[in-house]
Amino acid sequence: MQSIIERIEKEIAALAPVAGSEEVGIVRATGDGIAEIDGLSHAVMSEMVLFDSTFDRTLEEALNASESPTGGKDPEIIYGLVLNLEEDQVRVVILGNASKVREGMLVRRLGRTLSIPVGDALVGRVVNSLGEPVDGKGLIAKTTLKPIEREAYGVIDRAPVNVPLHTGIKAIDAMIPIGRGQRELIIGDRGTGKTAIAIDTILNQKSEPEATRPVCIYVAIGQKESKTAKLVAELEEKGAMSYTIVVTVPASAPAALQFLAPFAGATIGEHFMEQGKDALVVYDDLSKQAVAYRQMSLLLRRPPGREAYPGDIFYLHSRLLERAAKLSKEKGGGSLTALPIIETQEGDVSAYIPTNVISITDGQIFLQTDLFNKGQRPAIDVGISVSRVGSSAQTKAMKKVSSKIKLELAQFRELEAFMQFSSDLDEGTKKQIDSGRRMTEVLKQNKGVPLPFEMEAAVIFAATNGYFDGFDPEDTSAAESKLREFLMREAGGALLAIKESKEIREETEKTLREKLDAFTSRIP
Amino acid sequence: MEDEYTRILTILAESDDASAKEETLRRLFVHLKSTGRIKLLPGILKKLTAIEARRLTQAPQVEVAHAGESRMALAEAAREGIVASHARVNESLIKGFRARADGKLVDRSAKRALIDLYQNLTI
Repeated sequence: MQSIIERIEKEIAALAPVAGSEEVGIVRATGDGIAEIDGLSHAVMSEMVLFDSTFDRTLEEALNASESPTGGKDPEIIYGLVLNLEEDQVRVVILGNASKVREGMLVRRLGRTLSIPVGDALVGRVVNSLGEPVDGKGLIAKTTLKPIEREAYGVIDRAPVNVPLHTGIKAIDAMIPIGRGQRELIIGDRGTGKTAIAIDTILNQKSEPEATRPVCIYVAIGQKESKTAKLVAELEEKGAMSYTIVVTVPASAPAALQFLAPFAGATIGEHFMEQGKDALVVYDDLSKQAVAYRQMSLLLRRPPGREAYPGDIFYLHSRLLERAAKLSKEKGGGSLTALPIIETQEGDVSAYIPTNVISITDGQIFLQTDLFNKGQRPAIDVGISVSRVGSSAQTKAMKKVSSKIKLELAQFRELEAFMQFSSDLDEGTKKQIDSGRRMTEVLKQNKGVPLPFEMEAAVIFAATNGYFDGFDPEDTSAAESKLREFLMREAGGALLAIKESKEIREETEKTLREKLDAFTSRIP
Repeated sequence: MEDEYTRILTILAESDDASAKEETLRRLFVHLKSTGRIKLLPGILKKLTAIEARRLTQAPQVEVAHAGESRMALAEAAREGIVASHARVNESLIKGFRARADGKLVDRSAKRALIDLYQNLTI
């Protein structure tokens, strides 16, 4: 009680008329979430403004209007974002309930660019793109305001990407390794498992030691609220919310908030990166953000370009993704890894937005509907998936076991295609095809079960050293899960050695081979 | 074309010479008719109406809570660069005054202070 009394006393003491003057404007017209404002002649781009609904009301009306027909809290704070500076007016995107903005309303400049609260207290929370909590767990304390748009770190401040970020997905960690500070695109048609890869990556961070565990930020843009709620429940159930922040802007939210959501995610991630920590941000997905930006740009009467997207759509994504970085030691050594997601139509990667984002990122994981329907999960097309950071973002152990997989699988795909036209194959070719099939089976993995890196290394070691050769290709997947159970039970020491040293040393390899021999000998 | 005519008429409106204004307008109408541009008139009228409405909203306005505060309010507003000839009484301000002109607002009313207090405590 005393603290409340002190707080109120402090506020009353400060209850003096505002000194000086402020710059204000008047809403000339409003519609479709955009307001045209007279005045504000000194406003700057991306500046926040406040629509003052109390100006022309009595004090009583202003404070007791909570029973207004539109409902909600009143006086409701409605912010706007200045996005067009014109000769005799400014155009502002309304960040909130646009139906409450009316002609003749007073608009105040806030004198700051759009900022959101960031801080460690955000971890475990679900917020919107203005950083306001939407999980019903109350206010978020101890935060500082950070501008949502900022210039990315330059060359001097960056270090090479060479620390792996394990996804827990064998196919990715072995063939398309992702490094901390990298930008790896996940691209594919709807329903091919893009979100599943991102979520598995977040879940897998639980197996990381707390000191090196990245803070994960999942940005849901224009998605169904039911999907986001399900996802949050899954993260909570599996204990991943303790290191995760969810930024959600549903499909029902104004286009402006959808366009800002990834920038909010990047700003939150940068907060942790600047503290020397690692952060991972998933943008799910940038196609919807591009559509929201197109809608906003058309309403702002900016000239449309290809597919009606505005001319700066490339810059929208490049300035966002450029903020992912691995900082130099002088800057604290933190990192921000970005996993943007793009949804394609009919597998068309040559559309405008996919080609843009492919060219910006450091590689892509391409998911194919055909593979998904054939039962290959994750449905990664290893032929056109690539990580431009490559093996420098792999541990020695993973590098050692996975060096030949990609080549072998590429050869297998060619032979498999050839096999459809020819039934008369020599023994060597048949062996190679069987080996490829087995490897494909080994790389299959259900969603929601990411593997610790030492287990991935051990399984791939077994596959590349012929320990599955005794199985029919169709039985390999079942044998792989049996092998994992066996290794957990019998080879804990070897797995621990791999985990700690991050490599497969001679003595570890010897032990592993003994255990694998024991496993194969038990199978009839 | 409408913009150009509107701009000229805006400049003309600032002139104090009423007869010159009338003569210029007469000549403008003759010119528009002779060049077949008379159909531009509704558009010009719309733009001029908008400019006038904007001018009125941007015109200096001083509001006071009580008539007794007018002199002090006008003087304070003038110090902030808002020169008005009279102050309008607006009891909803409770106490103090507020003045507005050309996108500039000086709000020293008790109503604003109380709303700020309410918002700081509740939102």
